[in-house]
Amino acid sequence: MERIVIDPITRLEGHGKITIFLNEEGDVANTYFQIPELRGFERFCVGRPVEEMPLLTNRICGVCPEAHHMAAAKAADAVYHVDPPPTAKKLRELLYSGFYFTDHTTHFYALGGPDFVMGPSAPVAERNILGVIHKVGLEIGGKVIQARKYGHRIVEIIGGRKVHPCTSIPGGLTKGITEQERQEIEQIGRWGIDFAQFSLQLFNDIVLGNPEYVELILGDIYTHRTYSIGLVDEYNKVNFYDGKVSVVAPDGERIGKYAPNEYTDWIEEHVEPWTYLKFPYLKKVGWKGFVDGKDSGVYFATPLSRLNAADGMATPLAQEHYEKFYATLGGKPVHQRLTIHWARLIELLYAAERIVQLAADPEITSNNFHAVPTATPTEGVGIVEAPRGTLTHHYKTDERGILTEVNLIVGTTNNYAPITMSIKKASSSLIKKGTVITEGLLNMVEMAFRAYDPCFGCATHSLVGQMPLEITIQDADGQILDVLKQNC
Amino acid sequence: MAEILANGGWDLIDGQSSIRPPVLIIGLGNPILGDDGIGWRVVEQIAGYLQPSPVNEIIFPLTSSLPSGLQVEVDCLAVGGLALMERLIGYERVIIVDALSTRANSPGAITQALLSDLPDRAFGHLCSAHDTTLQNALKVGKEMGAKLPGEIIIVGIEAAQIYDFSTELTPELLDSIPRAVELVMELINDIP
Repeated sequence: MERIVIDPITRLEGHGKITIFLNEEGDVANTYFQIPELRGFERFCVGRPVEEMPLLTNRICGVCPEAHHMAAAKAADAVYHVDPPPTAKKLRELLYSGFYFTDHTTHFYALGGPDFVMGPSAPVAERNILGVIHKVGLEIGGKVIQARKYGHRIVEIIGGRKVHPCTSIPGGLTKGITEQERQEIEQIGRWGIDFAQFSLQLFNDIVLGNPEYVELILGDIYTHRTYSIGLVDEYNKVNFYDGKVSVVAPDGERIGKYAPNEYTDWIEEHVEPWTYLKFPYLKKVGWKGFVDGKDSGVYFATPLSRLNAADGMATPLAQEHYEKFYATLGGKPVHQRLTIHWARLIELLYAAERIVQLAADPEITSNNFHAVPTATPTEGVGIVEAPRGTLTHHYKTDERGILTEVNLIVGTTNNYAPITMSIKKASSSLIKKGTVITEGLLNMVEMAFRAYDPCFGCATHSLVGQMPLEITIQDADGQILDVLKQNC
Repeated sequence: MAEILANGGWDLIDGQSSIRPPVLIIGLGNPILGDDGIGWRVVEQIAGYLQPSPVNEIIFPLTSSLPSGLQVEVDCLAVGGLALMERLIGYERVIIVDALSTRANSPGAITQALLSDLPDRAFGHLCSAHDTTLQNALKVGKEMGAKLPGEIIIVGIEAAQIYDFSTELTPELLDSIPRAVELVMELINDIP
């Protein structure tokens, strides 16, 4: 059996390793996607006051600290049985919309976009954000940087500092915003609407206007028919901050919605011997292995699944694009995973519109941004939509609010099973007997998981010390036939 | 907004004024992930030298003057790629203290290098799950006209344990702190 390993040894945000085993004929026999798990977070938290969790958990991950901050704050509200005033909820959602705006922009232009803007097989030296900026122009590059800055600015105004906000506490926030800050945020939101529409137009021109890309997107290589989940509001519209988690079957039937404190009735975790990370699945459907279909409990949690799980968007321009999305792709739900990139841009537009909506809300500058908790703390669950999937925090405390149990299901973990399946399908489709393994080909395998915007859950930044990409091909006796290394 | 947009962006990237001290010292890493917090611990001690006060009373970023009159800013960060590049805008020299994972050196070993001398792993997707490398981000920033430091020095300390959540450092890393602090102080004192 031959073995191909894609092993990006990097410490920037954790690293994953893809191993592709070939059979005697040279076809793909199996694939394994392994993620190193950071250990001991629960042990680290137990014994600490629950109100520290919004600050502690935003250190788990360098990519989405704002998401952990919000999920932790909501879980702490639930532990203390306190309902934050409307102004606090709106301010938190406003902060969160600013975060989404930055995060989705970064993914499209820096990570997922290069595959389409530059092409999946473009020279590796060009297939990155720098290549994108060269191709689309410096002026647009400037807008991308501006978009990141504006999103960060909203987080800073409401969250007290950029990237790692610190103002959410049980019952609300430690501060409100002034009228001047409100105006600044609203103006940023209006700029953001233009930028998001521009980004959707860019996607339309460069991707949808290219028959080769459309074929790639709509082809079977990147298609999986699994369940979709996503947070929705009371009208079943997409919401990033609050609501219930809607669960929609591969045929489009909504099989139910669960509130945060009901998550253990819906989600269970499967264990495999080859990885420490667990595979969440829908308990009511059951684990049937890494397979598609209505009988398999595998689900995904991404921008696309959020659109599939909802009945629409809560803002007018995003709703227009939502309708166009499904009209173009043949109705709901959509299963072609590369369309996650398109869905992400629709969410980018929604985030910008939501910023304007919330900033224009008369209550947003109210001083009533905190309700003092008075009940005895016990247990609580908080759920938000992280950009890369539903994020669940579950805490139990003693009567003093000291943590006794902590459980987190983070965004990418939801997608571990479908990512594994997507990698296997892409590998099996692309690597056949006699296939010459090229960087471009392996990139097309990587595209299978990159669409999910995976975050491997760590915020370490130790400098890279080893070769980041290595592909090893071994024969059935374990003898190395070929080694392909890349300085990426 | 018109005024904000008219400024064109870069000087407003971190919401501060465009006038910066010439030197920025950053402790980089995750303070709750074992040895990955070494950069913070070193820089907290440096901040204590620059502005004598208990560590828990220091508010970052901290700006201070050396006896030579040189203005130095000190900060602790847990960001990488584009966000880190954006934080470096406007400074002439930057020193980054970070955990290093070469697996070639013994834990606590200190390495000093110019970022420009380190392997450029800028191109390729797998460098990061979600962002780009600092080197690539710096290229983006320069292309976009950002004023970025002419010199970025990396002080790397070989880590032993960076996968278990903890605020404790392994003993070898703890022992390395005075040496790392001394090295960084020498570096900034040597700046003309």
